[in-house]
Amino acid sequence: MLSWNKKISFLAIFSGVLILLAFGLVLFYAPVEQNMGLVQKVFYFHVAAAWLGMLGFLVAAVCAVLYLRKPNLTLDAVAASSVEIGLLFTAIANFTGMIWARPVWNTWWTWDPRLTTMTIMAFTYIAYFLLRRGIDDPAKKARFGSIYLIIGFATVPLTFFSARLLRTIHPTIFGSAGTGEMAMTPAMYQTMGFSIFAFSVLFAVFLIVRSRLRLNQQWLEEQEALEQEEEFGEVING
Amino acid sequence: MKNWLSTLKTLIWKDLLQEWRSKDMLTAMLAFAILSIFIFNYAMELDPRQRAELAPGILWVVITFSGTLGLNRSFVAEQEQGSFDALVMAVPGLGSIWLAKQISNFLMMLVLIVIVLPVYSLLYNQNLFVPGLLLTLILGAWSFSAAGTLLASMTAQTRMRDLLLPVLLFPILMPVNMAVVKAGMGIMSGAALASYQVWLTVLLVYGIIMTTISLMVFDYVILE
Repeated sequence: MLSWNKKISFLAIFSGVLILLAFGLVLFYAPVEQNMGLVQKVFYFHVAAAWLGMLGFLVAAVCAVLYLRKPNLTLDAVAASSVEIGLLFTAIANFTGMIWARPVWNTWWTWDPRLTTMTIMAFTYIAYFLLRRGIDDPAKKARFGSIYLIIGFATVPLTFFSARLLRTIHPTIFGSAGTGEMAMTPAMYQTMGFSIFAFSVLFAVFLIVRSRLRLNQQWLEEQEALEQEEEFGEVING
Repeated sequence: MKNWLSTLKTLIWKDLLQEWRSKDMLTAMLAFAILSIFIFNYAMELDPRQRAELAPGILWVVITFSGTLGLNRSFVAEQEQGSFDALVMAVPGLGSIWLAKQISNFLMMLVLIVIVLPVYSLLYNQNLFVPGLLLTLILGAWSFSAAGTLLASMTAQTRMRDLLLPVLLFPILMPVNMAVVKAGMGIMSGAALASYQVWLTVLLVYGIIMTTISLMVFDYVILE
């Protein structure tokens, strides 16, 4: 039987290999898109990152509900780590999207529902960390954080729906649906699927490592607080 | 049921009476609201045509910003004087504490709207007393204070308090902002009901979702 640490190391190495393979597929296997050229290749990482962004927040919301049902600081550590990783990948998705949008849509930014929703979602989760920072007691931090995650997650679909509605009433400025759609060949689908798989494994590794780090940090802080109390007691008694 | 209603009434009455005696919250909100209307005038240098179109948007920004000021104060009395624990012990069903606070905050928003609308109409020479717009603003105010009351009950217990509330509240409120402004613009431009009806539905759905979640999770905000 392998130790827990060894298993994680293996998983990490495995995810690294997968990511390298994904790079290889994107560069050498997937064909160059006819209209957009090389820049379209960023799409494979863009979609995978956006997927992790959403997955991260989904995992966090599930943990939040579970936490409120039965308080357990491990769940909270997983939720917070998941938001952290989700936020990172949302940022990656936004930036890779911009790199793609500049040549294809001829602008860095458009008020497309997906862009808007992802960005608002990112702001919700930045607020989540600010809220946590303002609270010292770990249990309260976890409780309030969970409540905010639930509200935040519940409003995301409404934001998306509203942004989409706004868009359809609004005149389309950058060529209509045509630019957004790509005729994908099987090789492109395979590459995309593999890339999403590779990123998902990476997500699992990040989540496990980050959650453990968070729990260890918590433990350390508790120990330090205890020690300080003991020292204080000695001073008083001595 | 009757008991619960009278508890609710007492709690709301307590908030309103307190506000009536101090007038802290409303004075600050109103002064801020009217000042922002002035700022908008000079910041945008609007010509009358554009102004008419933008009115619902400007109005909503003014209302939400001054509303946030008020929300920040809404749990301060309970916090500072430590009456929160007493409330929790005295009131059966913690959800009613939230609902009472929500209703009194909502009423405060209504007062704000009732005063800001004529001032805006007067200053910009544009009649805003349109039933549809009023309905939109009322629905918007309910959603706004529903999300705001729950969040304020949490931020009041944190270190950063007032600083934190807008940062937490505004991303959550995004659908409400879009819906109020789009419905308001539809109403003011005299469009057919069918073209903006969906936005009123968004407001209604948001209000219901936020109220339900708040009633469900409020226990966890107060119970240790």
